[in-house]
Amino acid sequence: MIELINLTKDYGTVLAVNNLNLRIATGEIYGFIGPNGAGKTTTIRMMGGIIEPTAGKVIISGIDMKENPVPAKKLIGFVPDRPFLYEKLTGMEFLKFIADVYEVETKIITPRAQELLEKFALTDWAHEIIEAYSHGMKQRLIIAAALMHDPRVLVIDEPMVGLDPAAVRMVKDMLKNLSRQNVTIFVSTHTLSIAEDLCDRIGVIHRGALLAQGSIAELNLAARTGNAGLEEVFLTLIREA
Amino acid sequence: MQNLLSVLLRPRLLSTLQGIKPGKKKGNRWRIFIFIFIGAVFWLGAFIIFFRILNYFQSVEGFGDILAQRLLSMIVITFFTLLLFSNIINSLSHLYLSRDLSLLHSLPVPAKDIFISRWLVSAFDSSWMVILFSFPVFLSYGMIYQAGAGFYLLSFSGMVFLCLIAAAISSILVMLGAVILPAGKIRSLFIVLGVALAILLVLVLRIIRPEQLVNPQTFASVVIYLNSLQALDAAYLPTTWISDMISAALKSDWKFSLFNLALSASFAFSLFFINDSIAKTSYFRGFSRAQTTAKRLFYPVSFGNSGWDALLNFLSPAAKAFAVKEIKTFFRDSTQWPQLFLICALIVIYLYNFSVLPLEKSPVNIIYLQNVFSFLNMGLAAFVLSAIAARFVFPAVSMESEAFWIIQAAPVSIKTFLWIKFFLYYIPLLIVSEILIIVSNILLGVTPFIMVLSIITIFCLVPAIVAMAIGLGARYPDFKSENPAMAATSFGGLLFMLCSFALIAAVIIIEAGPVYYTFMADVHGRNLSLMRVVRLIASFSFALLLCVFAVFYPMRVGEKHLSKT
Repeated sequence: MIELINLTKDYGTVLAVNNLNLRIATGEIYGFIGPNGAGKTTTIRMMGGIIEPTAGKVIISGIDMKENPVPAKKLIGFVPDRPFLYEKLTGMEFLKFIADVYEVETKIITPRAQELLEKFALTDWAHEIIEAYSHGMKQRLIIAAALMHDPRVLVIDEPMVGLDPAAVRMVKDMLKNLSRQNVTIFVSTHTLSIAEDLCDRIGVIHRGALLAQGSIAELNLAARTGNAGLEEVFLTLIREA
Repeated sequence: MQNLLSVLLRPRLLSTLQGIKPGKKKGNRWRIFIFIFIGAVFWLGAFIIFFRILNYFQSVEGFGDILAQRLLSMIVITFFTLLLFSNIINSLSHLYLSRDLSLLHSLPVPAKDIFISRWLVSAFDSSWMVILFSFPVFLSYGMIYQAGAGFYLLSFSGMVFLCLIAAAISSILVMLGAVILPAGKIRSLFIVLGVALAILLVLVLRIIRPEQLVNPQTFASVVIYLNSLQALDAAYLPTTWISDMISAALKSDWKFSLFNLALSASFAFSLFFINDSIAKTSYFRGFSRAQTTAKRLFYPVSFGNSGWDALLNFLSPAAKAFAVKEIKTFFRDSTQWPQLFLICALIVIYLYNFSVLPLEKSPVNIIYLQNVFSFLNMGLAAFVLSAIAARFVFPAVSMESEAFWIIQAAPVSIKTFLWIKFFLYYIPLLIVSEILIIVSNILLGVTPFIMVLSIITIFCLVPAIVAMAIGLGARYPDFKSENPAMAATSFGGLLFMLCSFALIAAVIIIEAGPVYYTFMADVHGRNLSLMRVVRLIASFSFALLLCVFAVFYPMRVGEKHLSKT
């Protein structure tokens, strides 16, 4: 479960996130959409413990990120928007590195890594250095790494960027499957069709503040757009904000 | 074409101007001031050293001018070697590996123009410091020989042509390397270069034999010594033309000086033409080949099911993971190798020079001299360690680069992360430093007291220097840099060097007095007075406290800063 309480990030010149309150239930897939510069990535980085909020709290399964960052982070699988990795390690070495950092039981590390490499079609590249990977392969590896420790919460920024259609389908199925296993998933994306297809609830953020949230039907109600698709709802909400 | 070139050079120019604009960043004025101050100190130091050396040469009857001329050709050769080395590294990066090259090659601009613009930037980056620091050398020559403005003008022109020749030769070598080497292995050039440079350095230093200059007997056979240097003055070497040009200008032999200048200039222009021709046919081909998948130079040798990392099983899983990652990343980064080889060569030369110091020929008491040298050697070894730490330890945090998010998102505190980094560098550097100090002390044949003192002092200084490097590296990280190793030359890197030098100087000064009394009492078989014992204990305790403070305070500062990043 994820709770964001009065979450605020003020960079001094820009108020990136303004008093954000969210509560995402266990096993829920929550989509986070908004125009460029709306505060999505800042919110996600605060949730991942990468940056500190100016005010407010991030609670992961009851653990306050600011008070107890290490236990909170152990519960999270984090996927950033850009796949920056240790380029001189091989894919397999990177997964083992992540597993050790997250203190995964030694005897299950190799089979788990092999299983994930297989799942993400990276087996043939397992022993090549990451420097040689394409953007999409790095993105697949980063998602695989986020799953190495069986996280209870997945925080993903733009999961489908650089992925080929087969990988997009595979990641979507995998996220739905994880949700069925009670993994809470927070996804930020610009691809509205994916949000529509994947998420139980969607939040629309603009200029750091939450404009509306809920299912497609609830968002339609908030935007007074009848039975429109997510794109129409999104554009209406942003235009009227 | 000129217009296009200026357009291609504009991003670099604007980025540089943005970087030095005061007020853009907090404390930018201070940074610029410290850079200028340190530069001025080194500049002045170089001037004083060369002025004194040349003054001393003038006092050597009959050979003064010859020695000054030899020194000049040694300086020109050293500058040329440095220029070649830095030009090869820079042109490899600027022409083939920079991130912005993909964008540049996508623009509707001929590859040849891209080559010229990048070549100019690379030549400038590799040369400006050499030109800047050649001024004090030529100033000291000019003052000793009372030369006029013509000498300075010609020396400057000579240095510019030396830089252009080195840059042109380097880019030809790099372009040929990019075409000849298998695709994806262009980075191997760094390793080849590292080995070549280390060997070259050892050979050149052994040919020059600088220790002969302090051996009074050498002057009896100075002709033999000078003759041994003739190999460096071959008529077909550009370095010979430049040094001949400068020496001739010094003696106001303008005709010979201008002839050598014309020789250098025509050679430089011929090289431009060759570069241009090679660039037209091969640059883009080489660039395209470099864009393919990077191949590893070596594949690990496996010993059954367990690798070398099993040796680190005594560490916690997280610490082991960081250690393995750090070691693998370090050794697989071929840009680290040239400097690693260079440091190995310098250590060998450092130790070799101790073995050939002609102490027995000195008029001063040999035991006294041996131990004074050893005491100074502690400081010198610590300075060597600081230089290694500035190059390899200080950038360690920045080396995380844009992948630093992994550390931030990982269930490991920044404090733990920094201490893991600390121990990873502390242990190898401690071993290297202790070997350096013990071997040089054995070569010097010091007393047991000085040996023990050196070992303990270095044992205390190493963690302090490593912690300062890690802590200040964390305080001034650069995760966006294309080449994080360059962090050593940043403001933070210079600050680290200043702090490190200050600490070493402080520890050596604190220890000097008590060590002198104890050593003299030891030599004369006397006991120390109670006052001196108290002073000894107080001094050593203070030095120890200073080291302990230097371990914990910078680490705390770095941790605080990184936590807020």
